[in-house]
Amino acid sequence: MEGKKSSDYVLLFMKNLNLIIIIYIAALMAYSISGYLKESSAGEFLAKIGRLPISAWKLPVMALCLYAACLLLMRMEEVRGLALAIKISLELVISFFISYILGFCYTGIVLLVLANTMKQFPKSTWKFPFAVGICLIYLLLDFDLISVYFSFIPLEVYLEYFQSDVRSVLMGLVNVSGSMNTFTFLVFMILLVRLQMNEKEKILTLNEQLNTANMELYRANVRLEEYAKESERLAEARERNRLAREIHDTLGHALTGIITGIDACKALMETAPEAANGQLTAIADVARSGLTDVRRSIKALRPDVLDKLELEQALMQVIHKMHVATGAQIEFQCAARLNCLNEDEENMVYRIVQECITNAIRHGQADKIWIQIDREYNMLKIHIKDNGTGCEDIKEGFGLHHMEERLTMLQGTLNYSGSGGFTVEARIPIRWGREDEHDD
Amino acid sequence: MRWTRISKKNLISGIICVVLLVCTYLIYSDAYQKFGRYKEDTVTIGVFSDSYWEVQNGYSYRILEDAVSVFEKEHPGVQVEYTSGILKEDYPEWLSEQMLSGSAPDVFFVLADNFTDFAEIGVLKELDTFIEADPEFDKEAFYSPAYLSGKYDKIQYALPYECAPKLMFVNKSILDREGIDMPDEDWDWDDFYEICSKVTKDTDGDGTLDQYGVVEYTWKEAFESNNVKLFNDRGTECYLTGDNVGTALSFLEKLKALNGSYNVSGRDFDLGNVAFQPMLFSGYRAYKPYPLRVKKYSSFEWECIPMPAGPLGDNISALDTLLIGMNEKTKYPQYAWDFIKILTCDPKIQSEIFSYSEGVSVLKEVTEVDQTLFRLIESAGNSEGLNLKMLSRIVENAAAVSRFRDYEQVTAEVDRAVKEIINGDSNISMEQIIWNREVNKYLGK
Repeated sequence: MEGKKSSDYVLLFMKNLNLIIIIYIAALMAYSISGYLKESSAGEFLAKIGRLPISAWKLPVMALCLYAACLLLMRMEEVRGLALAIKISLELVISFFISYILGFCYTGIVLLVLANTMKQFPKSTWKFPFAVGICLIYLLLDFDLISVYFSFIPLEVYLEYFQSDVRSVLMGLVNVSGSMNTFTFLVFMILLVRLQMNEKEKILTLNEQLNTANMELYRANVRLEEYAKESERLAEARERNRLAREIHDTLGHALTGIITGIDACKALMETAPEAANGQLTAIADVARSGLTDVRRSIKALRPDVLDKLELEQALMQVIHKMHVATGAQIEFQCAARLNCLNEDEENMVYRIVQECITNAIRHGQADKIWIQIDREYNMLKIHIKDNGTGCEDIKEGFGLHHMEERLTMLQGTLNYSGSGGFTVEARIPIRWGREDEHDD
Repeated sequence: MRWTRISKKNLISGIICVVLLVCTYLIYSDAYQKFGRYKEDTVTIGVFSDSYWEVQNGYSYRILEDAVSVFEKEHPGVQVEYTSGILKEDYPEWLSEQMLSGSAPDVFFVLADNFTDFAEIGVLKELDTFIEADPEFDKEAFYSPAYLSGKYDKIQYALPYECAPKLMFVNKSILDREGIDMPDEDWDWDDFYEICSKVTKDTDGDGTLDQYGVVEYTWKEAFESNNVKLFNDRGTECYLTGDNVGTALSFLEKLKALNGSYNVSGRDFDLGNVAFQPMLFSGYRAYKPYPLRVKKYSSFEWECIPMPAGPLGDNISALDTLLIGMNEKTKYPQYAWDFIKILTCDPKIQSEIFSYSEGVSVLKEVTEVDQTLFRLIESAGNSEGLNLKMLSRIVENAAAVSRFRDYEQVTAEVDRAVKEIINGDSNISMEQIIWNREVNKYLGK
């Protein structure tokens, strides 16, 4: 912004300089003409110049009028397209006439027009050709060249009115001021170019900064991903550790106690059966306490799905997953409201369904499973049937037994038959609508 | 909002700019003078007070005044003004000053010496359009050399007002004394040389020549009567090598040889010791009448005849013409043209030249009528030696001098060349070629 301002000042200075030069030269000419008149050498002067010059008073007036018109044209802003071309051409024509009036001893006004054009011209491909064109016109206005094609009165002839030493000084002043104008023009152009270079530099710097920021962002992203993976691994390890600790603390402890107690019982059976009996009671206590611990642990390890979803949706999800995983067709019908079960009961229902589907597919090789949940008074009835191989001789494996045991804890019952596919029917007493109900 | 502000600013700038440009044009073209004019139409005339022929006659503005009254009768409401009291020698400078300060008169007299400069500078209006548009104007009425002297570069810039041919003055007393008859009107260089060689002698027997043949007969007179066209019309080339030039130069050399080493001067003629001297007709007019005749040529009888003809030419001489031109920037071109016409084409005004001036009217009919002869006889006292038909023929056949810029300097250069050739010992045609190159070199500058 600072560069632009200083170039504006330079242009203003250039305009004033041109004004002074024009006044100076026109005044010189006017003074010479009136001097010739005063000294009665008009005839000699006319014979020397070979044409009638513009009257003394007209010279400065016309030059100033034209220059003022040129300045007004330059003042016009935001002219575009054809109008701009006309404006510049008109400025050049006026500059030509001013130069003509001044006997082409000074053509610097064209430089002023060029400077002003460079400042006002919009960014376009035409800018450069226009500048070159104006430069060419400036070069062609050269005194010696133009004197071949135009007849005009050179300043030197006017200045012959003065003594040779005065003449040299006057002519020198004209040359110096012309050079000064050229110099000012150069300064203006340098400032203009510097301004444009500054802008480009700024854009480049901004671009660089943007690139750096992008790079950093990318790196941060990568780090973040790595961190996410790492933290997942950590969570897994922590979970495994927790499980191991949990098992060790509950089951391990209880089992160790039971094994030790049973070993003691075996020894006591023969020698003191009463003591053994007492010992067994103690073992049972330990086992029960262990079971309690395990239940607490399991409660802590309860499936995430139920935390997040309603029971029915969780069931649907597990059914869908099994279907997707095994291709078995699973029909699910639910005629009871499942949204008011307590946590234990929810877990129970979820585990039963999950276990039964697993069993039907794993042991019965079933490809169709029907699941029906409905309500019979205060009982929730879960009926699960499959078209698998079934099992004539049902061995109560851990799964069924475990189910039965859990149901027992909830005062529920489990019936199952292995003929014609496998059918499981679980009944769980539910205290519907009672807020304060609590089992155990 | 911003857009309106800027376009408003541009519009105002543009309007003021156009106004300034129009003002500049009005100032340049002098059209501004048409605004606020309240005076009635006034045509201004540039004129000098004394005679063009450099003789005192006391009739300074007589013809002009008569022309003005004719003009003002024809154009009621139009005034004619002129500045009086400007001498002929100051007139070119005065005119130049008026031109420089832009106040030159609408119509002005143009001296023959200034005509080319003025035409070149562009202060004279081209008259061809007026001539073509005016059915009354007849250029055939003028003596053609006089009419042509207002032409420059094929354009008529001025019309002739009065003219004077060059004649040969003859000292009749010497011829009578030597028993020689007056030469015929169509005499040639041989007759001329014969008379000159006869009269050139030592009359008082002191061993030096004291009576001479001719004085002031220069290469100009010799070239004119030997049909020499020395320059092309634009004055860019000189033809000094022709046969006409060669014979003229040998003739001049021969004439000069008669006088030996003595340089004859105009004073010798005034004293009555020279038989011939070329002189303008105006000189004859001035000194023939009684009072002045006593003053200058009282010791001998004299007459004038045409110039002698060269072997390749005729009895012709140059014509000096006073012209009238119109200012290029005149505000009243039609009035100016009408006034010029009155001065140059009106027989009544033109015939006054024979009464109040010493020149010859540029109109054939005016010069040839008997009335003119009566006037001349009236002013000269006798009709001796004056033949109007001869005068008319001399004017009609006068050499049209093509003038151009720096004519005076170039003729000075030719002067030098002729002097060198005649005084030099070497072959004339050789010298001609050398000097032709010199003069052309000068013209090329």
